[in-house]
Amino acid sequence: MKKKIFALVLSMVLCFSMAACGSEGGDAEGEAVVTPDTTEDQDVGRDSNEDGESDLAYVKEKGTLIVGITDFEPMDYKDDSGEWIGFDADMAKAFAESLGVEAEFVEIDWDNKVLELDAKSIDCVWNGMTLTDEVTSAMECSRAYCNNAQVAIVKTEDADKYQTVESLKDLNFAAEVGSAGEGVLAELSYNCTSVKTQADALMEVAAGTSDAAVIDSLMAAAMVGEGTGYENLTYTASFNSEEYGVGFRKGSDLANELNNFFAISSTDGSLMTTAEKYGVQAAVIGSDE
Amino acid sequence: MSTVMEQMPIVFNALNVGFLQTLKLFFVTLLGAFPLGLIIAFGSMSAFRPLRYFTRFIVWIIRGTPLMIQLLIVYYFPGLVLGKTIWGGGESGRFLAASVSFIINYACYFSEIYRGGIQSVPKGQQEAGLVLGMTKSQIFFKVTLLQMIKRIVPPISNEIITLVKDTSLARIIALQEIIWAGQAFLKGSQGISGAIWPLFFTAFYYLVFSGILTIFLGWLEKKLDYFK
Amino acid sequence: MEILEVQNIEKSFEHTKVLKDISFSLEQGQALAIIGSSGSGKTTLLRCLNFLETPDSGKIIVHGETLFDAASEETQREKDIRMKRLHFGMVFQAFHLFPQYTALQNVMLAGQLLAKEKPGFKENKKEIFSEIKEQAKELLDKMGLSDRISHYPHQLSGGQQQRVAIARALALKPDILCFDEPTSALDPELTGEVLKVICSLAEQKTTMVIVTHEMAFARDVADQVIFMDDGIILEQGDARQVIEHPKEERTRQFLSRFAENS
Repeated sequence: MKKKIFALVLSMVLCFSMAACGSEGGDAEGEAVVTPDTTEDQDVGRDSNEDGESDLAYVKEKGTLIVGITDFEPMDYKDDSGEWIGFDADMAKAFAESLGVEAEFVEIDWDNKVLELDAKSIDCVWNGMTLTDEVTSAMECSRAYCNNAQVAIVKTEDADKYQTVESLKDLNFAAEVGSAGEGVLAELSYNCTSVKTQADALMEVAAGTSDAAVIDSLMAAAMVGEGTGYENLTYTASFNSEEYGVGFRKGSDLANELNNFFAISSTDGSLMTTAEKYGVQAAVIGSDE
Repeated sequence: MSTVMEQMPIVFNALNVGFLQTLKLFFVTLLGAFPLGLIIAFGSMSAFRPLRYFTRFIVWIIRGTPLMIQLLIVYYFPGLVLGKTIWGGGESGRFLAASVSFIINYACYFSEIYRGGIQSVPKGQQEAGLVLGMTKSQIFFKVTLLQMIKRIVPPISNEIITLVKDTSLARIIALQEIIWAGQAFLKGSQGISGAIWPLFFTAFYYLVFSGILTIFLGWLEKKLDYFK
Repeated sequence: MEILEVQNIEKSFEHTKVLKDISFSLEQGQALAIIGSSGSGKTTLLRCLNFLETPDSGKIIVHGETLFDAASEETQREKDIRMKRLHFGMVFQAFHLFPQYTALQNVMLAGQLLAKEKPGFKENKKEIFSEIKEQAKELLDKMGLSDRISHYPHQLSGGQQQRVAIARALALKPDILCFDEPTSALDPELTGEVLKVICSLAEQKTTMVIVTHEMAFARDVADQVIFMDDGIILEQGDARQVIEHPKEERTRQFLSRFAENS
């Protein structure tokens, strides 16, 4: 919501400062080059953009699908040669291929994801994004493709004391600002400090500045416990579960296109094969329920 | 889990790449802002009133708003309004947008320092040049400029040192400078996660670089000490 | 032969009339001293001659050529003014030497810049520059500064700086050399060396206009004296005549203040 207001304010500033921007054609201008016939090989009906222009056609026209990501193992991360891999990255590449375009990965500031989409500096957010109300209202989202839960992170030595949500209620939490974790804590009226990233939340616990943190279970599995950077941290109670989806610009027809792609790849088994490669098969949602 | 020793090559490699981006932004900003600042300084001293007021208005806006907001506006605003980003999607587009924001911002700060420097050169210097048949530009380049430079080296040095650290603001539009690179190991990157020390270690890069700059600027100040 | 003729010059700042109907003339090889109390318009008059101020009305004629005529736009074109200035040399009260240049460089700079604009400069650059350098050294030598040519202004005494400034003005060979209270910024013990230089210039028949408070010097060196009061020329004539036997009561009053000094 904040991002929308920001965009609105920006637009107002422009209208005041530039007389030249009299036409409301701002939005249409960038897409005017799109020719309608580029959509003819698509056999499935789709949502059309609010102003009647097709985002799919726009992406095909420029030949690249720019995927906004953060470095987030095991969804999107770099291999030794600097190539972006991961469950999300691999699926994004396959999706782009199915559209006949190139996938281009760009690291973004997570706070600015809606702004990045609206400013067309990226075409989608595909990065283990929890489908919260905030996300679904600001973006056109695909169906959920992966399950996730919010889990509590505590020091391993205290883990026995904090196995239930109830047992955690007097602790001071850290959670990523605007994250699903912060949401559940607010709902429970638990004491919470907002930090910039989920990793910062972990650091808070490790450094003892917070008693506990709430982060994604997928991330927790990869980042705490034996053999990770936070060996003396562990995850205990899990809060409500949630789902991951891919976000597109509001009104984009690409969301529907991706749902079709998910359906096809789940039927031919490629979705599961990719999931197994990155150890997330248990969480993946195979087909539409 | 890997030890700090094992992490070092990977981390330093990433930090070096990030720091290269920091340095690039730093030097591009100086290269652009030094001359642009002079143009703005002349604009703000112009005898033509509308130009003078307009320039001072722009300087007021740029100096009166946070650089972070300017970065956001410069990078996202065109895309939001035109429906198409003018910067291109990739890393280079973000660098370009960051450079433009930094150059404009620093040029405005420099322009005020230049203006003070030019105005502090006694008027008699200009008159002495005039009666010797020099043109206005000859007077500026042969007489005023060096005296102005001598006067502005200390305040400009301050701005330059500030710029070294300000480059980290470009992180807001996801320019991957050194702090971004250091932070990546916190949440996990290239098989290292939860490592705090790379982020803290970035401070060392800044420290060394601003140390080198301080020595250079001190040398320059001394070099200009031959006249008073 | 008359080298300088000033006709009916008037100049106002805001609403104050600083110069009122100033006319005088000067012959080749003569020295003119302008005296009068502070605020009488002496310095403004000198600045008008050097085009540092633009008179509201009147004419300035040098060698019969009208350099400035307030009634004629044509004589006030910005690009011509630069060259017209070269008829006059100017020595300021506060020297205004360029601090970043040595004494020698101060004297050479303007000459070098002007030479660059002349045709055929590129081919003879070396000869032209060495000629300028020789001439500058000679001038500094004449000022008694041959051992100071590599010094920067801040390394020189006030008297030495003013002598460098005189050499700098002479280097462009002006028709008329103007001095604006050349010794007023100097310690008393340093005025002598500067006045001596101006004396010797007078002996060599350099045409000069000197604004000064040194009455004895004006009497002994100048051929003519103008006494200015409140923007007008109150009395003018032979230097010894005006200073020793002034006709006007106001002049007498002014001079009496210097009597005990001379």
